[in-house]
Amino acid sequence: MSWRDRWGRVLPHLAIWPPIVISCGYVLGFSAWTIWVSFTRSTLMPDYAWAGLRNYSSMLATNNWRIACVNLLIYGACFVVFAMTIGLLLAVLIDQRIRAENIYRAIFLYPLAVSFVVTGTVWGWLLNPSIGVQKLMHDLGWTSFRFEWLIDPNMAIYAVVIAGVWQAAGFAMALLLAGLRSVDVDLLKAAQIDGAGPVRTYLRVIFPAIGPVLIAVVVMLLQFAIKTYDLVAALTGGGPGLSSTLPTLVIYDFMFQRGELARGSAAAVMLLGSLAIVLVPYGLYRLWRRRAASAHA
Amino acid sequence: MSIVSRRMLLAGSAAVLAAPRVALAQGEKPKVTVISQWSAGSDGLAITTLGKRFEQEGGVWEHNPVPGFTTEMMNKLRAQIIAGDPPAVSQLKGPEIAAWSKVGAVVDLDAQVKDAGYEAVVPVELARLSKPYGAWIALPIQAYRINTLFVSKKAADRVGVSKLPVTWAEFNAIAERMKAAGITPVANGGLKWDDGMKWEIALCGVSPDAYRAAVMQLDDKALKGPEVLAAFGQLRKLSEWSDPGAPGQHYSTFLARFMNGEMGMLLMGGWAQGVFKHAGFQPSDYLIGPAPQDDGKVAFDLNSDEFIFWQKKEPEYREGQKLLAKIVMAKDFGPMYCAITGSIPVRTDTDLSTEGFSDGQREAARAMAEAVQANRVVLSLAHNMAQPNQIAAAMIDVLTEYVHDGRISPEEGQKRLAAAVDNAR
Repeated sequence: MSWRDRWGRVLPHLAIWPPIVISCGYVLGFSAWTIWVSFTRSTLMPDYAWAGLRNYSSMLATNNWRIACVNLLIYGACFVVFAMTIGLLLAVLIDQRIRAENIYRAIFLYPLAVSFVVTGTVWGWLLNPSIGVQKLMHDLGWTSFRFEWLIDPNMAIYAVVIAGVWQAAGFAMALLLAGLRSVDVDLLKAAQIDGAGPVRTYLRVIFPAIGPVLIAVVVMLLQFAIKTYDLVAALTGGGPGLSSTLPTLVIYDFMFQRGELARGSAAAVMLLGSLAIVLVPYGLYRLWRRRAASAHA
Repeated sequence: MSIVSRRMLLAGSAAVLAAPRVALAQGEKPKVTVISQWSAGSDGLAITTLGKRFEQEGGVWEHNPVPGFTTEMMNKLRAQIIAGDPPAVSQLKGPEIAAWSKVGAVVDLDAQVKDAGYEAVVPVELARLSKPYGAWIALPIQAYRINTLFVSKKAADRVGVSKLPVTWAEFNAIAERMKAAGITPVANGGLKWDDGMKWEIALCGVSPDAYRAAVMQLDDKALKGPEVLAAFGQLRKLSEWSDPGAPGQHYSTFLARFMNGEMGMLLMGGWAQGVFKHAGFQPSDYLIGPAPQDDGKVAFDLNSDEFIFWQKKEPEYREGQKLLAKIVMAKDFGPMYCAITGSIPVRTDTDLSTEGFSDGQREAARAMAEAVQANRVVLSLAHNMAQPNQIAAAMIDVLTEYVHDGRISPEEGQKRLAAAVDNAR
């Protein structure tokens, strides 16, 4: 074997293994450390005296964590449903072989290029009744117009949904559009020959064909939702009061503002667990599909 | 860390001080590295001025501000302590001084404080916080009165008010008049600390004794008592008189509207004077004085910033720490620093008649001296003077929720506060 061949065989390993080892070291190492700390008595600084499940039970008993979990359910569900619906709608519209498609795609994808902090700040201005949309409507003469979600403790979390969907719908659109374009042309032709109209073609032929893409997008959006931090921090700061707080904000608050490292870690571990709720079924689903595919072959 | 090892630590640091002074190498200057949250505005200007003074006295000054909340500064401090390279000096306050002195080795300042005769001239509350385990480990640099009321001159003129309300009932009557005149009566913001502060000012105004029992001693009976309930009732009024867009806003957002008379009254610590001054407003633009006090006597809700000194091995840092301590304890430090930030010098023997001080500062300084005499000084909750972070944060969570949710009754708010204290204790 020549030197060149040998080098060629080693090179891919050199390229792949160091990043894998480093990222596993970081992700697994720090996750393991966080899990460990969550069972200790750490406060301002790590302190490795064993505390059992005390941090978990006291976290679960706090009002903050309860509100944050309810908010995550509301936010996660609305965010995924609306981002998917709007993304799918945009993708289907752009899929109609329209003119200047690239421009539209760029426009709708653009929000993703903006950082969450910027999104949060700008929407914070738009939704603030004293300076934003409501004031604009009042100035235009429509004085009965009310849009006060941002300062209404019951609605603030939905204001966050608006900003989140604005940001992520374009992302869903881009992935779904790629999915739509990948559908076998023969399938479309067959549907046409069978006399299916456009609506039916989409519902019965195209959407089922891109099912895996749909599920992948849902999973990605869900994990976006679970780890949302900066958007809420910039948009409402978790307020008014605690009404729009999310688990990530509570974790930061406990770990770094209150100096309760162990309780914050316990909350972080619970959040990690909720990510597993999303990712483990998805992994099983993919496994099942692969089995099914190989069984057919 | 156990008490024994803490004692050993203190003994160790005393031994270090007692050891023969390590001479600075030729040409080496005393040096300090400082971290604080003061990056901009009047606070930034004040600490820069202190730095220049330090350099004039022959030192090397290195300030690394961490803008934002105090807790963000603490995150950097924590990282530096864990890395074994703490700053020579950092900002810290209240019970956090005691808590943090357990996580890193601090410098014993007893000898220097004694030499300067400093302890006799600072309020006993501050001395207590600065020497949590017997030895001085921190130095107060400035004090603020939290229970301070600012009234917009233009708004006051519109409703014919020429003097500050003395009791909450008077305050409420003026607020009603302002509201009838189309003025937003309360110019506070809606951030967490602002919400907590409004409540503490209300409670201090109802009864400083109840404040001391409920907030500083977390006495269950006081927390469930009538004074705390009255404070919740007043807080509800304050929240209803605030701007509807206040949630999530810093009070400075409303500065322009306050000054031009669209908003009436601001309950804020004395630092607002420094902010006003820095923004180009004159003392004639607003009335300033103590917040309402129902029994009409003086009471002082104290907030104070301190410097804590961290142990360093290098002789240039040790000399730098000594030099900075000397400057901070000197009599002329207050007129230099506090004149910029709008605070009160911690030395009660400071002459405030010089032109750098405003009437507002002079009045507050007088109030502090009188309140110290009368034992009517309480420590601020929202500014982390009364309780460690975790308890203060749990209480403020309840208060901020209460402010922004009008459906919570004062009785329910009080119940939740007592429960939150029980959980955090």
